[in-house]
Amino acid sequence: MAFEPIIVSFLCNWCSYTGADLAGTSRIPYAPNLRTIRIMCSGRIEPTFVLKAFREGADGVLMCGCHPGDCHYHEGNYKCLRRYHLLQKYIQQLGIEKERLRLEWISASEGKQFASLANEFTETIRQLGPSKIKKVMETLT
Amino acid sequence: MEELRIGVYICWCGSNIAKMIDVERIAKEAQKLPHVVMARDYKYMCSDPGQETLIGDIKEYQLNRVVVAACSPRIHEPTFRKALEQAGLNPYLFQMANIREQDSWVHIDSEYATFKALSLIKAAVNRVQHHKPLEKRFVEVNSATLIIGGGISGISAALEIANAGKQVFLVEKSDAMGGVTAKLDLTFPFLESAFQMLKPRIKQVQAHKLIDVFLNTTFDEITGYVGNFTSKIRQNGIEKEIQFGNIIVATGLKPFDPSSISEYNYGKLPDVVTSLEIEEMLMHGEVITSKKKEPENIAIIHCVGSRNSKYHPYCSRTCCSTALKYANQLRSILPNSNIYELYADMRSFGKGCEEFYADTSRRKILFLMFDQENNLPKISKAPENDNAEMIITMHEKLSGENIEIPADLVILMTGMEAQQDAKEIARLTGVSLCGNDFYIEKHPKLDPVATTTDGVYIVGSCQSPKDIPESITQAKAAAARVLASIAVGNMEVEVTTAHINEEVCCGCQTCIMVCPYTAIHFDEERKVSVVNEALCKGCGTCGSTCPTGAIESRHFTDKQILSQIEGLLKTEKEPI
Repeated sequence: MAFEPIIVSFLCNWCSYTGADLAGTSRIPYAPNLRTIRIMCSGRIEPTFVLKAFREGADGVLMCGCHPGDCHYHEGNYKCLRRYHLLQKYIQQLGIEKERLRLEWISASEGKQFASLANEFTETIRQLGPSKIKKVMETLT
Repeated sequence: MEELRIGVYICWCGSNIAKMIDVERIAKEAQKLPHVVMARDYKYMCSDPGQETLIGDIKEYQLNRVVVAACSPRIHEPTFRKALEQAGLNPYLFQMANIREQDSWVHIDSEYATFKALSLIKAAVNRVQHHKPLEKRFVEVNSATLIIGGGISGISAALEIANAGKQVFLVEKSDAMGGVTAKLDLTFPFLESAFQMLKPRIKQVQAHKLIDVFLNTTFDEITGYVGNFTSKIRQNGIEKEIQFGNIIVATGLKPFDPSSISEYNYGKLPDVVTSLEIEEMLMHGEVITSKKKEPENIAIIHCVGSRNSKYHPYCSRTCCSTALKYANQLRSILPNSNIYELYADMRSFGKGCEEFYADTSRRKILFLMFDQENNLPKISKAPENDNAEMIITMHEKLSGENIEIPADLVILMTGMEAQQDAKEIARLTGVSLCGNDFYIEKHPKLDPVATTTDGVYIVGSCQSPKDIPESITQAKAAAARVLASIAVGNMEVEVTTAHINEEVCCGCQTCIMVCPYTAIHFDEERKVSVVNEALCKGCGTCGSTCPTGAIESRHFTDKQILSQIEGLLKTEKEPI
């Protein structure tokens, strides 16, 4: 059977999660590989959450927040952006390809964009193949 | 520690979920999960019998945690929380798995959809084990209301609230009330005077003891939360502080500037005017060209800046009927003129407007259709010896012919756009923007004037293009919502705030730097940070910043989210 990646997405409640819901109400089909964790703000995405997802076997992690300037909590998405850049450096040191972690802004009205993002990111991860970090960690411990 | 007893409920949502997801199979799988004592699937969990089943089970099986896999928590989380409360369980001992909007509605492979649903349920079951009961908090509601914008929407809302005996602060950035309505001559479809409708209402507002009007006024800041907002406003350079419990945003619209459409030569040809410019001429009762002559040929071009991917994709909704209004008025003033309506699609919807279209079309008006997306009419100056001042060349869609229309006056039906300061007002009030800088409502059908920020409402054209009756309807709806909150006197507020464990806090104060609400202060004596829960809105940014893990983001704790991640990924990689 062909490789089907599993992707964990962290979506902020006000924009991205609502955008993902809108893809649903608009019945826009997309790849079923994405599984969402709802947080109130992308600023809540703790680096540990992302690392935990990779550790538990996620092949890709998607972080989504409101567009710059539109954050429901004013600037949580900027905090998220900073962490994302640090995380990118960190995961590469762990041997995780940088393409496996992605940050995108999805607004509450962007159901269509969310669906295409899900498809596009799934395809990227499918090309990359399964993430090895879970196995590596298991061997090490 | 008490024994965990989890109930899992899988909703069919009629066929919405059950058609794509094998609900019976996942109910059986869920039954096998640790601590799950009851797993059921049911046709409509949100229905009365659905909720009664849930309540009955909580009592019969002594459930102390509940997971419902159904629609988005944004829709029915409050419903199920209430059911838990009815059964005597704390409403926060509950978690939803979204298997409709984010599963059955968007996936086309039933095996994968079922597989994904199961992993979402496993995540929810994992998470709910770490949920803690949270106590509801209430705040008193200040009975004053801030209304931003003194147009027809703001005025209507202000009068509604003040006439019910409650204080209103009406803040308008310009030097006069009335907004765009004050710039209109007649209104469609009954050709009544806008002035006669508006003037007495402005007078009432000015004379009302309970309405404080602030003209030429801007905001320095708005702080606080539902029930207890404070704002610093600035009028003529002087700062003043006002306090209020609710906010109605009624900032209205900005007319589209047609100079960017090269085909229309607005600003270059003196007799190409916008709809607001012709309104002014009509108000003065004199429609003449730049050469001070009565125009013989008048063209009215629809959809200027609207319904075109280069400018704005949306319909501005009022222009078609307004264009018909001009045709009527001009036919009466200039009975011998030739009037052309150049339209893309005629959208004269609404009460009385279709009849208005039919009546207008009998008044010797020529309707010509053009292609709005790919082939706009082109206005150019007529040759010297021509009878008319301008020539419009267009491809007439219905006849399929390229034609030329003489014109002495061209009216551009300019559409509506969001105000220039829409983003700034959104930032101040905590409202979110949807596309094109219009404000987004809490729910497009079920909650059209509320926003995702409690105590902040949006009315009129700041939400999307609207006509006068729609704006007034929204204004009065928002006023009713505000009055209801004042009548109750208190409001439930966020309990999912941050909490600092003082024994773990190292006093680094990083959380204070990242908090967008200045809700955290430093206790110099004990050398720890302390959260003011009245100000905290529960974004959780401090929680993910704290280097020692002293901050708990209630209901979004590290433990809860980490166990949710584990649950999501526990499922085997291939479909079950």
